Amino acid sequence: MSYILQTSRLTKTIGGKELVRDVELHVKKGEIYGFLGPNGAGKTTVMKMIMNLWKPTMGSVELFGKPLTPKSYEVMRRIGSIIEFPTFYEHMTGEENLRMHCEYMGYYQHGSVEKALTMLDLTAAAKMPVKNYSLGMKERLGIARAILCKPELLILDEPTNGLDPAGMKQIRELLRTLSAEQGTTIVVSSHILSEIESIADTIGIIHQGRIKKEIGLKEIEEMSLAYIELSVQNPERAAYVLADKLGLTNFKVMEDGMIRIYDDRVTTEEMAKMLASNEVSVTSLGRKAETLEDYFLKLTGGGGDKC
Amino acid sequence: MLKLIKLEWKKNRIFKYIRNAAITTAVLLLFLLMAAGELETVETVQSYGKSMLDTSVGLFVHMAYIVFTGVMIAVYIVGAYEKKTINLMFSYPIKRSKIILSKICAVWLFNFTAMVLSKAVIYLVLIATKSVTGISAAGISVGEPSFWADAVLSAAAMVSISFIALPVGLKMRSSKAAIVASVIIVCFTQGGIGSATLANNMTFYAILFVVAMASVWLSVSRVETRDVM
Repeated sequence: MSYILQTSRLTKTIGGKELVRDVELHVKKGEIYGFLGPNGAGKTTVMKMIMNLWKPTMGSVELFGKPLTPKSYEVMRRIGSIIEFPTFYEHMTGEENLRMHCEYMGYYQHGSVEKALTMLDLTAAAKMPVKNYSLGMKERLGIARAILCKPELLILDEPTNGLDPAGMKQIRELLRTLSAEQGTTIVVSSHILSEIESIADTIGIIHQGRIKKEIGLKEIEEMSLAYIELSVQNPERAAYVLADKLGLTNFKVMEDGMIRIYDDRVTTEEMAKMLASNEVSVTSLGRKAETLEDYFLKLTGGGGDKC
Repeated sequence: MLKLIKLEWKKNRIFKYIRNAAITTAVLLLFLLMAAGELETVETVQSYGKSMLDTSVGLFVHMAYIVFTGVMIAVYIVGAYEKKTINLMFSYPIKRSKIILSKICAVWLFNFTAMVLSKAVIYLVLIATKSVTGISAAGISVGEPSFWADAVLSAAAMVSISFIALPVGLKMRSSKAAIVASVIIVCFTQGGIGSATLANNMTFYAILFVVAMASVWLSVSRVETRDVM
């Protein structure tokens, strides 16, 4: 399969400290790729290498089927990006900043600046110097600039930083629209699971500089993540009943008398009846589904400061 | 390249610098007009081979524009690294060395032109007002090409030498360091201790020029392969 963006054994070491190691990303054309990981996991490092701002210590980046080299300038015409935080010429207005961007990109499409400002609700602030913008407005202006020249690939590093919930929702909808209507391939990083979960087609989970898993959200849904959770006073006896009387093997005894049963051959009613008849006192019983958060925590060993 | 230079001027509001250069020239002119009477009394300084008035014009204009160049290096180049707008610049489909060179050229061209024009305005006003101020304009031969060639060459040399401040600012990632370095360059090139001065020493200037060119080369070379921190 061909990918718009692909990294191979991407490694970066600075001052003897290994920031990321053997990172393998595979981004398909037209998809929204969520790059997920806790703060300090190495997301920005990888994105900087994709944007050629940092050079890999080892490994390679391939963009649009061609290897990225220090002299890959033309490929930048096809990419829009925000890495870390958007920077502007603060004394210039939002509109002037966007027009300047078009000049450097060699992109002259009548009305494109106005359209980008409208898409990000910045028309009213267009004539205002950027130094007077709030953090959220700067973030939105950064996104306006990133999408301004209709890039084929959009690389956004934590684009909802500083945005209120309404702003975050607006960005999510915008990314979905860009992907659906313009076929833009989007790589968006975040340390907030719910943000990625709601928009991404594929997620790459990075933890402590290493890719833990690359998986499609559909695959996660299809995986047997639904389970029955029951709380009992005597988990050892309950486990015996589940295994011996009901013939279940795929279950896990948790802490505090909780048991998770991933086997769906038995209904909750049958289970409750069997446990009661074997004198196991059940305090709660219900069907649940493992969230992406559970999956993420499982992969990262519960690590991460926020997810 | 010309387009990139124009964009540098545009985004850094070149009109502000033109206004400041005009104010600098006016202040220097006023100062020289006030001091002209004093300078006339020590008209000829054999060691310099120039009239004191001519030397003073060169001295003050050079001092002002070496610092001016330092300030522009700080804003245009070092400031771009400090404020991380260089990350944005390096995400454009343009060769990075070309981006840095366009910044260098934008600063160099502006200061060279401003310095030559500043000298021309000061010389011409001094000559035009000599009947009123009563100063002696001996040695200021505005009608001779060699006089202007000297003014142009010294301006080019001084602006070029100012670029020694560039690697200092870049290495320390500090605009202030670049400006302080330019002030130190002023002290070395225009100052003196007692009668000892390097201001007329051609070998010294030649060495500084080579150092300045090496500074520019150091700042531009490896920009393609270096990480942008």
